[in-house]
Amino acid sequence: MKPVKFSTIVFTMLVGLVFQLYPWSNSGIIIRPDFLLVIMIYWLLQAPYHCNIGWVWFAGLLVDLSTGSLLGQHALTFAVTAFLGLIYQRRLVLFNRWQLYLYVIFLFGVQRALILLLKLFAGGEIPDWTYGLPVISDLILWQFMIIWFGELTRPKKL
Amino acid sequence: MLKGIHQQLDPQESPAFFIQGPKPFPRLMFFCALSLVMMAVDARFDYLGQVRQWFSTALHPLEVVASAPNEWARNINTYFSSHNQLIQDNFKLKQQALIDHAALQRLATVDAENAHLRTLLDGDAPIIPQATLGEVMHMGRDPFSNIITLNRGSRHQITPGQAVVDEQGVVGQITRVYPFTSEVTLITDKKLSIPIQIERNQLRAIAFGEGKRNTLDIPYLPTSVDIKVGDKLVTSGIDGVYPAGLAVAVVTQIKQSQDSPFAKIISRPIAGVNNHKHVLILKVPDSPVINQTNENRPFLPRNNAQHLDQSVVDVLQKNNAAVDPHPVTETPVLDTGVPEANSNSQGPTPETTLAPVAPEHP
Repeated sequence: MKPVKFSTIVFTMLVGLVFQLYPWSNSGIIIRPDFLLVIMIYWLLQAPYHCNIGWVWFAGLLVDLSTGSLLGQHALTFAVTAFLGLIYQRRLVLFNRWQLYLYVIFLFGVQRALILLLKLFAGGEIPDWTYGLPVISDLILWQFMIIWFGELTRPKKL
Repeated sequence: MLKGIHQQLDPQESPAFFIQGPKPFPRLMFFCALSLVMMAVDARFDYLGQVRQWFSTALHPLEVVASAPNEWARNINTYFSSHNQLIQDNFKLKQQALIDHAALQRLATVDAENAHLRTLLDGDAPIIPQATLGEVMHMGRDPFSNIITLNRGSRHQITPGQAVVDEQGVVGQITRVYPFTSEVTLITDKKLSIPIQIERNQLRAIAFGEGKRNTLDIPYLPTSVDIKVGDKLVTSGIDGVYPAGLAVAVVTQIKQSQDSPFAKIISRPIAGVNNHKHVLILKVPDSPVINQTNENRPFLPRNNAQHLDQSVVDVLQKNNAAVDPHPVTETPVLDTGVPEANSNSQGPTPETTLAPVAPEHP
């Protein structure tokens, strides 16, 4: 398994940003995955030597700037999610596919819950059940990342 | 052997202090603190506005790339729109033009008459707002806020606070301006309120957005208020942002509960708040309020033909006050009965003659 190039990470981040910027229609926004989150979490688990919490945080900042929301909101939740991923990174690569799916769903769920919490603090209102849908599309995007860039690298057997 | 060791070793096997730098937890704490500080600064101060501006400018090419597929799709769609459709549209437009022409001819007469009456009563000239045409680029990317983005920004002399309307009524207000784009907060947003007037009886109130439900709420009106389902709400023009008389919403529901002295009045926006492509961005009329605050003289709704005849206004005002136990704050404004004068353009206006009178009305 070749180590991932840093340029690949930057490139996928840019692509993710473009998709984030795509003018989603009203119904599209309900199922829009968090492109940058999925991409960055994938790289965090796949290539922790390149992509650390700081980069994921930076991706969150990009999301903040592009959505025009309060600066630091998404960055904060992205960093927390990255932390939760990173502390189990060594175990996650050993998981089988379904275990990994479950954990990844948990991560994306945590991010959405945190954003919701922050918005509620800022005086937002509780959204309806469709708020949880992007977790599903996140998972689909995650699967695409696995297809394009490979399964998480397991350590070699000694 | 040692040459490629860094690449052969997996991160899991290599010593932690070589590749990791600070441990995850301190790192997390650092970035959490950083984002909390940023959130606080962004919410309380204005320092980060400039950062947003730069970023938006840098992001513009990416934005163009991102919206390109949509543009192509639309162009192709337009290209293949059928001959029949075009003929039909043309026919319809011609008919509409005919009707509009008839109305316009009347307008000229009414305008002349209006101007004449205004000079008789020393009213000021109506303001015909200037407008810029804007195109909706996308609905907000944040599902929590009711925001749309337009393709006009500070480069096109757009400033925050301008009203945005479409052909049917008020859409919202510009709240943030970037060099090439600007954000419009829709009137259905929780943060936005709009001074309105019931078209039928001139009762004034303020409507608040209700967020996700895409409706407006008119709070603090008593259960006895004269309002019916189907009443049309128009802007009252007293805020100096929205010109008077623009359609805002239609009352759809009035709930009266036993335990509340206020009626719950729900209305639905008239403008296609969620489904339009082109909108007009109106210029904020230069408000003379600021110049006159030191004179302690009130500010009458200008640019509103309905307020031309002061006696009528006074009568209505009294009626409203009788109905409404919570008169809106501008009530005393109208009681003083001084038609606000356009201080600059009209030369010797009643302003000078009335100036000594002003201090009598605190």
